[in-house]
Amino acid sequence: MPKLENALISLNSLSRPAAGKVSAPALLVVTLVYLVAVLSVPLYAPQRIVWLAVYPVVQSEMSGIGFARVFGKSLWVLPLILLIGIFNPFIDTQTAFTIGGVAVSRGWVSFFSIMLRGLLAVQAVVILTMTAGFYDMCHAMRRFGCPKVLVTQLQFTYRYMVVVVEEAVGMDRARKARGFGRNSYPLRMWGRMVGQLLVRSYERATRIYRAMLSRGFDGTMPLSRPQHMSGLSWVFMLIWVAVMLALRLINISQLIF
Amino acid sequence: MHMADALVSPPVAITAGVAAAALIVVASRKVSQIKREDILPLMGVMGAFVFAAQMINFSIPGTGSSGHIIGGVLLAALMGPWAAFITLASVLIIQCLVFADGGLMALGCNLINMGAMSCLVAFPLIYRPIAGRSLKKGRVMLASIAACIVGLELGALLVTGETELSGITALPASQFLMFMLPIHLAIGLCEGVATGAVLCFVQSYKPDMLYRTDRLYENPSQPKKMTRKSKVVLTVFAVLALAMGVAFTWIASSNPDGLEWSIARITGDTELAPAITPATALMPDYNSTFSGVLGGLIVVALLWGFCSIIFRKRHAKA
Repeated sequence: MPKLENALISLNSLSRPAAGKVSAPALLVVTLVYLVAVLSVPLYAPQRIVWLAVYPVVQSEMSGIGFARVFGKSLWVLPLILLIGIFNPFIDTQTAFTIGGVAVSRGWVSFFSIMLRGLLAVQAVVILTMTAGFYDMCHAMRRFGCPKVLVTQLQFTYRYMVVVVEEAVGMDRARKARGFGRNSYPLRMWGRMVGQLLVRSYERATRIYRAMLSRGFDGTMPLSRPQHMSGLSWVFMLIWVAVMLALRLINISQLIF
Repeated sequence: MHMADALVSPPVAITAGVAAAALIVVASRKVSQIKREDILPLMGVMGAFVFAAQMINFSIPGTGSSGHIIGGVLLAALMGPWAAFITLASVLIIQCLVFADGGLMALGCNLINMGAMSCLVAFPLIYRPIAGRSLKKGRVMLASIAACIVGLELGALLVTGETELSGITALPASQFLMFMLPIHLAIGLCEGVATGAVLCFVQSYKPDMLYRTDRLYENPSQPKKMTRKSKVVLTVFAVLALAMGVAFTWIASSNPDGLEWSIARITGDTELAPAITPATALMPDYNSTFSGVLGGLIVVALLWGFCSIIFRKRHAKA
């Protein structure tokens, strides 16, 4: 259960937007442009991806989150991309370049690229969520033409997670209290236990929904702060898009070194 | 099963994204026609439920890898394929945005691999014919296992295809498949048993929760046909997806780095590779690779120090 409870805590911390002054639509656009820029760099040119690290570094510090925190959050994606990238050094053994007599194969170069783009892409998304907040992002998605059904569904899912986790923790506690010291669940009990959890949370969710309806819920959740594109947001968006295009199109490594 | 951004190239990601967006638009229209009073809380709570269930990773013996259930078949059996697809989409979007599980660019791929394959393919084509309207536990169990395995294997197949088309891994498609398919067979079996067990419980305890086509729509004898408008939308998106796929393939193949490499690898034609990218053209670039990376890293590190000093002071003041 601790995993579930941790998830609950991080959910709660993200529902309220951080102190960022830039509106969510601008952040969303910048993040998408950034992802296209990072992912479109050829695998055998890591020297060009490195420069794109400018965005997570500067933006995380500017919004007050700190790059170290963002970097730490992005690290857990490593095992996933390692699993895919690790084969490249063994298969693609053609020498790319040599440093002090040590030959580095093309496989290692592409492996390094995969790690780099994996980390940078996750960092960009982490920054987006931490500065925009979940609900503002939902409204930004609505503004970009995302169907209302999906946006409402996103908000409901996000809220009802608390319901499901609370029911699960309660059932776990009840079972332990009556289990005479047995803490484990036998395999054949899982189906009934999970089914019970499903039915219980469904019933509670329906009660909550009725309560919302009786208090005037009309299908749209109110915004926590107004979401017009301020001048600052426009400036933020245009500058970053320009910087990213420049970093993607100009080979800075070649210019300097 | 969640694909990270690192594993896809923009052409593949955008093509899959357009296709997934089309499915979401169609599914939204279908869901908004559903007249079941409790559909909103049901979808919300089921999304939360599947989200929690996906967090439970079980290790797969002998492979050193771990997997998690998808829950598409369970959702579809309770709410019908379209509502299930929207619900699963919301789960995947939250995982991507809040927990950075599965990339934002790769979201379209993930929606299709996990959502569409299990809800829109495995459920109507495998689960429904086997389970029918029967209330027998054996049939429900059999249908869940079969549908989950098919859904996961199709998803695994697509993951392989998308990764190979993106030209990320040097692993040949056949080996990649040999790696992916057995793992997902095992996961599918586990998920099928779990889905079946939960469905059997719901059937005996609260059978009105289960999905039945005849109760979903206003006119029970005749489920509403697709409106002309949504047909037009679907066609436009399909054509758009196709056009983008073709256009990007063409653009990418005029550039030696992207798709052509991967196609050369998939066909196993190693002779092709040097012909596409002459060594003379690439070698000078490679000499600068190391210095380029090192220089870039140093500059970024300096920038970090600079920014953290400037902005931290400002944030501390505020």
